[in-house]
Amino acid sequence: MKVQINGKEEEIDREEVTVSELLVIKDIEMPDMVSIELNGTILDKGRYDITVVKSGDVLEFLYFMGGGSACGI
Amino acid sequence: MEFETKAVHAGFNKDKVTGATALPIHTSASFAYDSAQDLADVFAGRKYGYIYSRIANPTVSAVEKRINSLEDGVGAILTSSGMSAIATVVFTLTRQGDEIVSSRSLFGGTLLFFKDVIEKYGVKVKYVDAKDVDAYRTGINDKTKLVFLETLGNPKLDIPDIERIGGICRENNVPLVVDGTLTTPYLFDAKKFGVSIIIHSTTKYITGNGTAIGGVLVDLGNYDWAGSKVPDIRELSKRARQAAFLVAARNQIASNIGVSPSPFNAYLINLGIETLALRMKEHCNNALELALWLKSHSQVKEVNYPGLEDHADHETVNKQFDGRASGLLTLRLGSKAECFNLIDKLNMVKNLANLGDAKTLILHPGSTIYHECSDEEKEGAGVTDDLLRVSVGIENIKDIIADFEQAFRT
Repeated sequence: MKVQINGKEEEIDREEVTVSELLVIKDIEMPDMVSIELNGTILDKGRYDITVVKSGDVLEFLYFMGGGSACGI
Repeated sequence: MEFETKAVHAGFNKDKVTGATALPIHTSASFAYDSAQDLADVFAGRKYGYIYSRIANPTVSAVEKRINSLEDGVGAILTSSGMSAIATVVFTLTRQGDEIVSSRSLFGGTLLFFKDVIEKYGVKVKYVDAKDVDAYRTGINDKTKLVFLETLGNPKLDIPDIERIGGICRENNVPLVVDGTLTTPYLFDAKKFGVSIIIHSTTKYITGNGTAIGGVLVDLGNYDWAGSKVPDIRELSKRARQAAFLVAARNQIASNIGVSPSPFNAYLINLGIETLALRMKEHCNNALELALWLKSHSQVKEVNYPGLEDHADHETVNKQFDGRASGLLTLRLGSKAECFNLIDKLNMVKNLANLGDAKTLILHPGSTIYHECSDEEKEGAGVTDDLLRVSVGIENIKDIIADFEQAFRT
């Protein structure tokens, strides 16, 4: 399926994945320190395991620690 | 994973490029990117990476992760000193016209920070007796943005009932900020006892060898920032959720004031953490033995150590610190002259203004840390003219006692 992550179209080799699985697939560093917006809605971290990402979805990964920029928050 | 294991492994496994298992010291002011877009993405928070070491640094981040793991928190910010950790928390949570309710049994540096800095910027500090639970309730009003106390008052060594005070803070929607320097995450499980933010001077037991000045603050996840009385943190929580306080603390305060520790100091702190559990056991054992010995000495008028069974707060030690009362004790000798005389006669025990060192240290608080404080402030902190503070080290207890014995005798 194709999804858009941070403005770029990306191919994921699955029909659908949970947000937690997507964090692993994309090898996201410091997943605890990333805020995820799915189709314009900020997700609760507690729902990453049950929220399913489907083809055509638009995701924004926003880091707010580490690099230190909170500009995206 | 148990505490001792996390202290050795959490936060850093091995260097991805070289395989180094000792934490690399990244003494780089800033970090380069191949494309303009990459750096722009890091600035925008759309890509993970480091920008500039005043904001964040890979060595420092590893230590933050390790301490956060020990506290089981949301996240940690390592700072250049314990005082800058306190300042970061206070500046993040308070604005002009706000109030703080604080225990009056405070480290002298904290008292001076409240008096010389915070109050000058229009934040009122209401002092209450550390153990008077109802006084905290009475002191809190709509303007109160935080309650502040120490796990073990320095040097009064009085111990507040943190679980009950935490309950009062929850009822009143006020975060409980606790300085846990004397107890460290090894003796005190701050999250379990309802603390919102725990602060440590890492200079003391956490590093443990008197090398690097440092501090840390950890958000323990016990306070819901979505309901914060601080408008910009409440707004921030809509996007950052539970990390709202940490984002505000790092990006609004810590980065802009510039409280970042040097990567080399972060390395030393990390090295110290590995042996924290081992050292704390020895500090506690030695302090208890020395307290018992001093108590039986004819020249000692009074010994204050919460690990002693007849200490007023011994039950609280059992409840909050699992029966271990850390490595600090005080003794009274009857006069300042007697105190100075003893200090001058000690050979191995060092006379200096620090605590939590592997070495045994002694200090006359009244003429040093509290010399700028008023009589009322000294009284609140339990500082009298004939009081000595001893930070008991991890040497063999026989040698520690022998040094005191010869100093009293000569």
